[in-house]
Amino acid sequence: MKLIDWLYKDTPLATRGEITPKLGFLLTVLLAIVWLIPFLWMVVATLRPASDGINAMAELMPSLKPTLDNVRDAWEIGDFPRYTLNTTIICAGILLVQFVTITLAGFAFARLDFAGKSLIFYLFLMQLMLVPVLLIVPNLSLVARLGLYDTLAGVMMPFFASAFGTFLMRQAFEAIPTELEDAALIDGASLIQRIRHIYVPLSMPSFSAFAIISVTSHWNDFLWPLMVINSPDKRPLTVGLSVFTKTAEGTQAWGTIAAGTLMVIAPLLITFLIFQKRFISSFVTSGIK
Amino acid sequence: MLFSRRLMFGLAMASSLAATLAGALAVPAMAEGPTEIDLFFPVPVDGKLARDMGTLIKEFNDGHPDIKATAVYTGSYDDTLIKTRAAIKAGKPPSAVIMSANFLLDMQIENELTNLDALIKADGTTKEQFLGQFFPALQGNAVINRSVYGVPFHNSTPLLYINADKAKEVGLDPSKPPQTWAELTDWAKKLTKREGDKVTQWGIAIPCAYDYCGWMMETLTMSNGGRYYNEEFGGEVYYDTPSMLGALTWWNDLVYKHKVHAPGATPGPAVSTSFISGNAAMMMLSTGSLTYVRDNAKFNYKVAFIPRNVRNAVPIGGASLIIPAGLEAGKQKAAWTLIKWMTSPEKSAWWSRATGYFAPNMAAYKTPEMVDFLNKNPDAKTAVEQLDVAKPWFATYKTVPVRKNLEDEVMLVLNGKKQPKEALVAAQKAADETLKPYNADTSLKLP
Repeated sequence: MKLIDWLYKDTPLATRGEITPKLGFLLTVLLAIVWLIPFLWMVVATLRPASDGINAMAELMPSLKPTLDNVRDAWEIGDFPRYTLNTTIICAGILLVQFVTITLAGFAFARLDFAGKSLIFYLFLMQLMLVPVLLIVPNLSLVARLGLYDTLAGVMMPFFASAFGTFLMRQAFEAIPTELEDAALIDGASLIQRIRHIYVPLSMPSFSAFAIISVTSHWNDFLWPLMVINSPDKRPLTVGLSVFTKTAEGTQAWGTIAAGTLMVIAPLLITFLIFQKRFISSFVTSGIK
Repeated sequence: MLFSRRLMFGLAMASSLAATLAGALAVPAMAEGPTEIDLFFPVPVDGKLARDMGTLIKEFNDGHPDIKATAVYTGSYDDTLIKTRAAIKAGKPPSAVIMSANFLLDMQIENELTNLDALIKADGTTKEQFLGQFFPALQGNAVINRSVYGVPFHNSTPLLYINADKAKEVGLDPSKPPQTWAELTDWAKKLTKREGDKVTQWGIAIPCAYDYCGWMMETLTMSNGGRYYNEEFGGEVYYDTPSMLGALTWWNDLVYKHKVHAPGATPGPAVSTSFISGNAAMMMLSTGSLTYVRDNAKFNYKVAFIPRNVRNAVPIGGASLIIPAGLEAGKQKAAWTLIKWMTSPEKSAWWSRATGYFAPNMAAYKTPEMVDFLNKNPDAKTAVEQLDVAKPWFATYKTVPVRKNLEDEVMLVLNGKKQPKEALVAAQKAADETLKPYNADTSLKLP
């Protein structure tokens, strides 16, 4: 009884049936610990000298004599600065073009009237149901015919239009009161000016939410870049990393893998830590809408 | 006014961009340099080998100024097949590929391979002389309808690895490894340690993940007297047979009856890790893992033939070098030069010492470095000796899906969700369905 009293002590009567802030906090901490364990293991394994033996590899206790050997090994096997640059170019390039296409397409579906609008919209959404693997061969032959085989532009191209992004922006734009647009119309704003000065600024949270999803999914994509890229100096991080992890006949150097993985996720992780508040608030606001 | 100036600027930009593009496209056609070829390769054992591959290709380029080869890393064996096929369909075939040996038949059926007979003839050698360099057991996966389609590069057989120290602890003699399934079961029981209900050391570990699982099932079926597929025709597999049922039942019994094998489908890297860490006292794994075990085991180990139930027999594993169809003549010739160089006795011996795979070229074992190496590491001989009883690796129309039809079911059995018999019936049904189009086109198409 005492525990329950403590949990409910400063909760308003009206919300006593719901999970209390304290209990919620406890659950969050628990979840965070579960989420943190593999990450901690990776850091510990990265710093563990090979002389500790493979037995110790599974332990969470850090080694008494940490070493950077694994980091050096991974660094030597893969050209990580180059891979990071390639991945950054790919993710940024895709995102920039996507911003333009999803804004215009989202606006068209939210505010313009044209024949067969709903039908086209549903056809557009059907793209979400397709497994990307299905499109590898047609996409690749198109990319090759455009002369983009083995180029970063070839990796980016199939993702320039995003069904999910269009859907998200359509929802965001629809929630914006038409009165704002009407006012701008009276002031003589053109279509592009209305989008630029009314719709885009008011949908910032949706844009950031989409940016996070877009960047993380292309950061992690493996199969498509593997198909398009041949030159070692154009490899993105995932393909570079898989040199350690995709083994055929059954052995693995866990320390090097851990070190390589850490290098791959570090940029995303650091970005997240810096912009943590913004990330979370963008999801919360876009969720409420 | 402003608008038109902007338009002018845009037009100027666009035309200069077009000029640049045209220039970039024209350059390769005009330049006269070395023939550029690319070699697709999967990483067979460990990331460091990607570096070894770089060393090998650099050496080749230094010795052949008229050819510039680039090694392109392409993921796992299965990923390499996907990438090669997609590249061929997109009109950008690679010049050479290190391809899993059992994918050759399927690629030949789809007309994706260059028949190497003409290239062999142009060198002034006969097919028999050319193939005579390699161990006879490897030829089954390289020769299709009496034409050569692949050159064996690095090959493997499954082996039984034994932790000799742990065997001695329980009074077993590691110099006389188990030779039959009955003996192996007995060893595994003695080598399993329990604390109450909890197992602290497993007797044996056998990998089961995509690719590996099918290979292990073929291994067990073959040593049980049976066969996995029709070696002469790509449209038949024999999943629902007594020899296969016996094999899967024994594997299932190791897990659920004798409780000497951890439940669940374990991937290869987890098996080797658990053997190295002493968590499993024996394992069945490829000879391709031998160098890794040699470098990491802190105990005495022993490698032995795969034990038999009916007969001693194992499948070949590993990869061959191929030339995709549709290459221009110059690239084809350069690729052939690269392939011959990579499979020469010296180079294949070097690669074998680096990886643990055995060298397919028999003359490799006569090079002084290799003789010296085998004297120091007698464990590397076992796989070569086992070649006497080795047979081709399963290869059918649509090899990967047909293999997965079985693997999905075997995984269900090892996870305790199905019994061997019903799993094999389901696997057979699924595989027959996958093979249907090919059979409709060949064996069922009557005049």
